[in-house]
Amino acid sequence: MTKRQAYDLPEAPDRPAIWRTLEEKNDPGKRAREAVEETGVQLGSLLPSDSLVGRRSFFKVTGATAAAVGLSGCLRRPAEQILPYSRAPEYTLPGISLHYATSMSHRGDAVGLLVESHEGRPTKIEGNPDHPRSAGATDAAIQGRILDLYDNDRSGQVTNGESDASWSDWDTFWREKATALERAGGRGLRVLAAPSDSPSFLRARAALIARFPEARVHHYAPVGYDNIREGTRLAFGAYLTPQVNYENAKRVVALDSDFLSGEPGAIVAARAFADARRVRSASDDMNRLYVVEGTLTVTGMNADHRLRLAPSKVDGYLRALAKHIGAAPNVPMPPAVTRAVASAEAPAGVPEAWIAKVADDLLQHRGESVITVGHRQPPHVHALAHAINMALGNAGPVVGFYPAADPEETAGIAELVEAMNEGDVSTLVILGGNPVYDAPADLGFAAALERVEATVHLADRPDETSAACMWHLPMTHELESWGDHRAADGTVSIQQPLIAPIRGGRSAAEVLAQMGGIRGWRGYHLVRGTMRAGVGPDLLDRLWRRSLHRGVVIGLPRLRPRTPPLADADVATALGEAPAAGEGWEAVFLPSYQVFDGSQANNAWLLEMPDPVTKIVWDNAAYVSPASAESLGVSNGDMLTIAAEGGEVSVPAFVLPGHADEVVTLPLGFGRTAAGSQGDGVGFDVYPLRTSDAMGFRTGVSVRAGSGTHTLVQTQDHHSMEGRPLAIDATLEEYKERPDFTQWPDHGGEPTPSLGPLWTQVDYSQPRQPAHGGTSYSLMPEDNQPRPDAPPRYKWGYVIDLTTCTGCSACVVACQAENNITTVGKRQVQLGREMHWMRLDRYFVGDDEANPQVALQPVGCQHCEEAPCENVCPVNATAHSPEGLNDMAYNRCIGTRYCMNNCPYKVRRFNFLDYYGDIPQTRRMQFNPNVTVRMRGVMEKCSYCVQRIQAARIEARRRTTVDEQGEISETRITAADVVPACAQACPSQAITFGDLNDTGSEVHRLAHLDRRYSLLAQVGTQPRTTYLGKLRNPNSEMV
Amino acid sequence: MAHYKPILDETPLVSEGTSFKEITEIVSRVTEQKAPRLWWILFVLSVSGTGILGGTIGYLLWTGIGVWGNNSPVAWAWDITNFVWWIGIGHAGTLISAVLYLFRQYWRTAINRFSEAMTIFAVICALLFPTIHTGRPWFIYYPLPIPNQMNMWPNFKSPLLWDVFAVSTYFTVSLLFWYVGLVPDFATLRDRAKNKIRKWIYGFVALGWRGSNRHWSNYERAYLILAALSTPLVLSVHSVVSFDFATSVEPGWHTTIFPPYFVAGAVFSGFAMVMTLLLIARTVYGMHDLVRIRHLELMNKIMLTTGTLVGYAYGMEFLIAWYSGNPYEKYVFINRATGDYWWAYWSMISCNVISPQLFWFKKIRRSIPAMFVISIVINIGMWFERFVIIVTSLHNDYLPSAWGNFTPTLFDITTFLGSLGLFFTAFLLFLRWMPMIAIAEVKMVIPQADPHHHPEGDDHGHDHDDEDEEDGHADLEPALAEE
Repeated sequence: MTKRQAYDLPEAPDRPAIWRTLEEKNDPGKRAREAVEETGVQLGSLLPSDSLVGRRSFFKVTGATAAAVGLSGCLRRPAEQILPYSRAPEYTLPGISLHYATSMSHRGDAVGLLVESHEGRPTKIEGNPDHPRSAGATDAAIQGRILDLYDNDRSGQVTNGESDASWSDWDTFWREKATALERAGGRGLRVLAAPSDSPSFLRARAALIARFPEARVHHYAPVGYDNIREGTRLAFGAYLTPQVNYENAKRVVALDSDFLSGEPGAIVAARAFADARRVRSASDDMNRLYVVEGTLTVTGMNADHRLRLAPSKVDGYLRALAKHIGAAPNVPMPPAVTRAVASAEAPAGVPEAWIAKVADDLLQHRGESVITVGHRQPPHVHALAHAINMALGNAGPVVGFYPAADPEETAGIAELVEAMNEGDVSTLVILGGNPVYDAPADLGFAAALERVEATVHLADRPDETSAACMWHLPMTHELESWGDHRAADGTVSIQQPLIAPIRGGRSAAEVLAQMGGIRGWRGYHLVRGTMRAGVGPDLLDRLWRRSLHRGVVIGLPRLRPRTPPLADADVATALGEAPAAGEGWEAVFLPSYQVFDGSQANNAWLLEMPDPVTKIVWDNAAYVSPASAESLGVSNGDMLTIAAEGGEVSVPAFVLPGHADEVVTLPLGFGRTAAGSQGDGVGFDVYPLRTSDAMGFRTGVSVRAGSGTHTLVQTQDHHSMEGRPLAIDATLEEYKERPDFTQWPDHGGEPTPSLGPLWTQVDYSQPRQPAHGGTSYSLMPEDNQPRPDAPPRYKWGYVIDLTTCTGCSACVVACQAENNITTVGKRQVQLGREMHWMRLDRYFVGDDEANPQVALQPVGCQHCEEAPCENVCPVNATAHSPEGLNDMAYNRCIGTRYCMNNCPYKVRRFNFLDYYGDIPQTRRMQFNPNVTVRMRGVMEKCSYCVQRIQAARIEARRRTTVDEQGEISETRITAADVVPACAQACPSQAITFGDLNDTGSEVHRLAHLDRRYSLLAQVGTQPRTTYLGKLRNPNSEMV
Repeated sequence: MAHYKPILDETPLVSEGTSFKEITEIVSRVTEQKAPRLWWILFVLSVSGTGILGGTIGYLLWTGIGVWGNNSPVAWAWDITNFVWWIGIGHAGTLISAVLYLFRQYWRTAINRFSEAMTIFAVICALLFPTIHTGRPWFIYYPLPIPNQMNMWPNFKSPLLWDVFAVSTYFTVSLLFWYVGLVPDFATLRDRAKNKIRKWIYGFVALGWRGSNRHWSNYERAYLILAALSTPLVLSVHSVVSFDFATSVEPGWHTTIFPPYFVAGAVFSGFAMVMTLLLIARTVYGMHDLVRIRHLELMNKIMLTTGTLVGYAYGMEFLIAWYSGNPYEKYVFINRATGDYWWAYWSMISCNVISPQLFWFKKIRRSIPAMFVISIVINIGMWFERFVIIVTSLHNDYLPSAWGNFTPTLFDITTFLGSLGLFFTAFLLFLRWMPMIAIAEVKMVIPQADPHHHPEGDDHGHDHDDEDEEDGHADLEPALAEE
């Protein structure tokens, strides 16, 4: 940060006076004085006091203010002066974005990021392709983090009780407190924080314990992965992180596990899973996914076989499966475990095939299959799955175990509350999190908090917990502070700030390090100090810059996954002690796909992102199966009362096909009361029903129809394809039989008819564009001969593989972030006015209404060669570019909406109202400066991220050279140069973008695969977006 | 204009014994006497409606068209429904004025002025909607081919642009036609004027008409040319409006039957609206001698014909939806009749197809209360027809994921009712200040206009009334008749 003073303009030299009025001529300084007085209205205290004194000047000032107020109503642009850099800061070129490598801890894993920054303000989060683990992928929540950075409801004010304080007040307070605590050995000091994978945080924690031996650090996250951790300890005697290489798994059995979107490492898993089903020809093989789950999840939507089963019965199912597998010859099932499951019976309602056939399939794929268990399941289920995986020889090639980031045994929130209630806690520092809102209901955290003398809450906003604490300390965002994160595979990446804290603040690691007495507790020094310990002081300076540049710490020893021997007896004991499945209704607590546990509850992008499964926006609901809804006598929106000992919640019902009967799914994270302007009062808080012994699901709840209704808004109301060939799917066998099945959608009927237009079309596959640019056709016959010096032509195209699209909706939010797409709120979505350029169509297919299959289809603008929208626009606001893109000229659009009507895909979005309105300055900082912020009355739609294409074109032109003979050697734009936001974010890499004219490109290859098809080809639109038909791989013995 | 000669014992077009003077008197006095109480009541109501329209438009311009219920996929809803409805109503005017004129349907004289005025006002109301329905109406001039520094032409491929030309041409020609017809009658009013202001104003708009042979000769030529010009417009305007739908790719819109179907529907609704207005004016101002049951019956016959044509089109659409084998098309039509908007479809069928069939019965055809009710029912039905075509086609089209319904808001309703207010305001002002029946033309069709007509007691041509200049040019008519 430079401390250079703002540049002062020199005094103008003497020259003939310039005047506009006679009054001004006579008194040349008058205007300048008035100008000062005008600004004095805003900066009064900065001006000399005499300039505001006196009746005359008072009236002048008020008059000027009134004039300014009046003028601001008429002037289109307020007069604002800008000064160019006299000496530019290093690397900053106006208009040229910079990308910085950083990282983020995300749901139990570290994700490498590249953050785009424009003139010092981060605008877009992308994945870091160089990150060895996440490899460039992100998800919707990470995409939404950029909006959290500019959230106007974030706090910048330290408060102590009711009064405002400053950071130095806190520092003083802590110094005094620490002295007192040190004398007591830290007795009474407790810290509550989320489980951390940050080496610096763990170092600070160690320092704290060293300084205050009696103090304790408790870890709690509302959606935690303790069951997985404890599962490994049960199975192996140590905290390990299981890591599944899905790319090696030909058979996957997911038990209550949403590994594609809801479990730790989902981003990595989605890509690896997709890698094992990237069928490119009829001779390719693909994996098979069995899913056993209660609620319909993203993973369940991608299942080849799916069994609806209440989560409490998954244990029984796995035991029956284990028994069956153990009974097979040559399966080295550990003896004690075998005995423990010997008497297991499949839970009622599980078809025999789901035990026998699944077991057979797994047995036939030893060493290339996996059973994966979700975080809601108790530790012994995880341990049993590990045992089976090892017996099947999957440990090693498919499943590996890394040492956990935090190898120590930690105390949780239950122990903390116990201590608080016993009066053992005098000082409680809560680093992040919001336990008053999300702690297990049976603990009575809020009540216990009142018994603590000094309570401190570090949080990004004054939330429910801050209100109950003495101190509120503003917490920095990941993009504002230094940090480090260790991924599940041991890769450590640095989190480097892109911007100084907008509202001030410190990170959790900083506050903990400060409390621990680390001298260099400021983030930068803390992280460097941690790295010094890792790589050694000699290498630090050399590796630091390179590590920052790559986003990954270089020089650390690489961890190898290992598989310790199974603690057979312990697992068997745990299996024996596990309580039997409960009876009756049970409630499943689902981390919301939108706001997760509630921490992103004030994020309008995520609130408006349609839930991938239900398509509900701005709400959560109690999902029940159609049969259960019938027995309860409720339909969508009718209130349900879900009660259990100690708690009761009222949540509107939502009937979800594929849901298990007598199970109600309650998405977490809604119903916040102090989230901020967007999140307050959205949805229903279901935490009151969640207890410390039932964090994943709770059996024995009572569910009954309540009174009243609540309007649930979905972006998609119709869930059947009506027999139309839209998201075309086939089984792998059908595909092998007829590789071009997508062209024959009604299986054996006529191939999809498609008529060409009556006019001569421009051939976009010509390497050079014709002399007169080229719309697809013209009233006048024109010369299509290319100019010899015409620039090379590109033919941009998308290919979307429906087989690998999981429906996770990362693309939806990535597109929103990149293209300055507004949110419109629940009511406007209800009216059908959502603005997403990319939508994910989700259809239920199959005959079984209770357990349908799902077809997913991302639909954005198809960029039709013969675009129906272009013909009908009276003002040419949407037109073909010379490269065949369907461009929108916003400032030409008058908003007849004819194009929207005539778009068979209905992907055009109209600004029915001034949705952005008055945008707060901080919010404006997020905007991508290369994309127009659309005003009301203007049509918009997917542009194929044309701003990125143009940026790549500029770069290619820059690299184009002319040699001495005047020969131009052009640099073509390659696929790597242009990655649209959706394709960039896609964890499963289902979206491919590139130049269809480049026969060597991936997009060209995919667009000519046998299972390609164009959506609604028979309309004759000739879309540039090509879909690859969805393949399913059902077990022929189970069909 | 050639003279009308009744065939055999055909009922005369004007009540027997009505003299030239009486005709002048009946029509002109409306503009000269105080307005009746009923006129004031209707006027206050209409002006209130116009005020509501103004308020709605103000709010709409300030807030954006999101104040209506339009959405995705139903991007057009009541706005374009109202547009097409008003354009359709505006259709009858030219048909009556031009086509019936060229076909020598003399009975048109009693209603042509009326229907032309209705056309003008309906087209004004219609033009309002495409203007205010755009997202940024302050750029509404973009579709006009104005040379500009951006070097941009409008898109000549867009049916909306064709609309701009078709409707503005139609409006211009209709206005000219109406005005040309009004000139001799304005002169009559001028000559009857008893105060300076009236004299000056009517004198100004009468363009110095003196009723000379040359004036009449030019007038007749101009009228004939304009009639010839506007005849193709009768077919073109609504055909072009139908292209908005027919040239699209939407199932339910993309169909070749639309141009004739829309023209038939437009004539149908236009006649119905003329009928509604005529019956009110006829009763209020006592025009029974000029607008006779025979006129009304003839109009009812046209409504019966066009209503049946429209019904045939409805049936044909269904047939083609089935015969084409296009599943999307088939779905749209089944959805129209049985989907969420079934009530609109069946309202349309019962109002447009079933109700005019009652005109097969002579008794109903000649019953004023019956035809009044049926004419209103037809107008409601025709509004539903446009609603059905626009909304039911859009709301469930190709991709079920994008399906959605449309619900009107308060502002949809006030815009529509407000446009009715504007229409009636303009129409009532027309009734009050302009000759609502073409005086000169009606005179040409009465028996006395025939030079060979010398019934007993006919004092025409012998009794000069010095105070009434009008008789003067009535005298000239036999000479004109020689043409």
